[in-house]
Amino acid sequence: MKLRAELAEAARISWSAILANRGRGALTTLGIIIGIAAVITTMTAANGLARTFRETFSAVGADVLYVSRMPWVIVNDFWKYRTRPILGLDDSERLSQSLRGRAIVNPTIDVGLPASFRDRTLESTRIIGTTDRQLIVSSAVPALGRFLLPVDDHYRRRVCVLGHEVRERLFGKVDPVGRDVRLGASVFRVIGVMEKQGGGFLGGPNFDLQVFVPVSTFARLFGDRSTDRSVTIAVKALSHEAVPELEYEIIGEMRKIRRLRPGQQENFSINRLDTLLTAYNNVMGVVLGIGLLVTGIALFVGGVGVTNIMFVSVMERTREIGIRKALGATRRSILLQFLIEGGIICLGGGVAGILVAWLITLLIDATLMPASLSPQIAVIALLIAFTIGVLAGLAPAWRGARQDPIEALRYE
Amino acid sequence: MPAQPAAAGPLLHLEDIVRTYWLGTTEVQALRGVTLEIAHNEYVAIMGPSGSGKSTLMNLIGCLDRPTSGSYRLEGQPVSEMSDDQLAEVRNRRIGFVFQTFNLLPRSDVLHNVELPLVYAGIPRAERRERAEQAIARVGLADRARHRPNELSGGQRQRVAIARALIGNPAILLADEPTGNLDSRTGADIMAMFDELYASGQTVILVTHEDDIAAHARRTIRLRDGHIESDVARAAPATARQ
Repeated sequence: MKLRAELAEAARISWSAILANRGRGALTTLGIIIGIAAVITTMTAANGLARTFRETFSAVGADVLYVSRMPWVIVNDFWKYRTRPILGLDDSERLSQSLRGRAIVNPTIDVGLPASFRDRTLESTRIIGTTDRQLIVSSAVPALGRFLLPVDDHYRRRVCVLGHEVRERLFGKVDPVGRDVRLGASVFRVIGVMEKQGGGFLGGPNFDLQVFVPVSTFARLFGDRSTDRSVTIAVKALSHEAVPELEYEIIGEMRKIRRLRPGQQENFSINRLDTLLTAYNNVMGVVLGIGLLVTGIALFVGGVGVTNIMFVSVMERTREIGIRKALGATRRSILLQFLIEGGIICLGGGVAGILVAWLITLLIDATLMPASLSPQIAVIALLIAFTIGVLAGLAPAWRGARQDPIEALRYE
Repeated sequence: MPAQPAAAGPLLHLEDIVRTYWLGTTEVQALRGVTLEIAHNEYVAIMGPSGSGKSTLMNLIGCLDRPTSGSYRLEGQPVSEMSDDQLAEVRNRRIGFVFQTFNLLPRSDVLHNVELPLVYAGIPRAERRERAEQAIARVGLADRARHRPNELSGGQRQRVAIARALIGNPAILLADEPTGNLDSRTGADIMAMFDELYASGQTVILVTHEDDIAAHARRTIRLRDGHIESDVARAAPATARQ
């Protein structure tokens, strides 16, 4: 009861003291405002990145293993992988045979080639040789027309399925199905258009700029093993639980295909979404770490500013402290009063910081990537701000609380 | 104002009180052995020239300070041995201060200034408000409850201070030069208020250097050089109003 009355009184005086020194308080909290805005922006950006990442790679699939010549993520010692032999379509075929009934195998080869329709050319398209099983391995489906069929592959037909953005930029309003496009030097007939998938953020693959062609056609026109172009073999497990065992089997089969003796190092890599996630988390960890360090410094500087202003506030109110002590205020009540004042000042800075961060978030959302300020982050930021205020007020409040009432009453 | 149920023995008892200060390297003996008793419902004036130790004595009686040696018992409690926070509680519950410079909180209104001691006593808000309003009405400022100190005259401010001093039903009303910052007519009003409080049973201790203020009291203690020079009781006040 007593503590509650004291807390209410402390909040009330702090408020009136802060109102009386608005300008000073606002300047002092600048560091806090910047710090809190930075905290929120960092966290919001990290959240946005994580979401974008997940959306981008949802097409990869969690239960799909990708066998490739080199690992997706190479931290260093790139030279170690350079001498590995290429994977060809024949390798994919053999793996498919040996895993029959236990997994779905789909080879892909890709090359960057310009695509053009009439006088329009798109330079950044990625041509991907694949099969009808692409639809099973990845989550995308065609929005228009149809996807590749086994028959397209069998007869090495020159047909293609366009990514969403390829269609928009080459054809505009024109219905592309049945039209001819030029991929590199070859002409293909458009048989379908994929639905919008997104991606392309921060150098990641943009799924909407892909063009799918039958893998056999690809091999004939653009080459596979012969031209140093390696196949990636996607292997989809029949269930999520089967993934670990499947990985083990693939390693065994691949070693057979590659004729590796026991004890010899593998010269292929098995990738999965987790590999990317781990790499992504490492990068994000560093980015977040740096962001939070900078933020921490801003908040520390802000806190020192608040400590400073609180010393002034305690000194200015020496007489008030004397009066309160004469009327029965204990050390604790005086301490509480100034701690809460520091807390409220920083809370104000926190609210301003949230407003700033909100504006920055809107800007990021409009330009860089989808981002939104989550209420949880805002609440955490406010708690941080209040805590910093209380900590910053500790030394000044203690000085105030220790004042001798007689001297304080005499203070002019 | 109902006084504390009369405890056995005197209201306060000071025994051989010594208080020394260090001013740099110089030892100053403000009180050099003061022994004093004040009973319930006395009206006492403490007088003396500056440097006589009367402010020190007032601070000790008001539990703002502790003696260097000697013992002080207030209502039987050994306050000279208490910690800072215990003293704060004694001040809160047993002492009502009235200062020469009023010492009101400038940013708070009259109501809040008056209820402040109850805040530190942990009294719930509704009860605080009610008691503060009664105390303010009692000093005749009911229509000023929402004013701030700087909107009031000196006499009104001192009445606010009196209301604040009385709100906790203190054992002692301790007034330090209560009319020092007031013109003589307003000062007389304030003194009349003290006389009335005394008449209704309140123990009042005045610290003053003015004879006509001290003349309101029934007992005058004169200090000189840290000693009690004289302690004179009167049967009837020199300038009684009743």
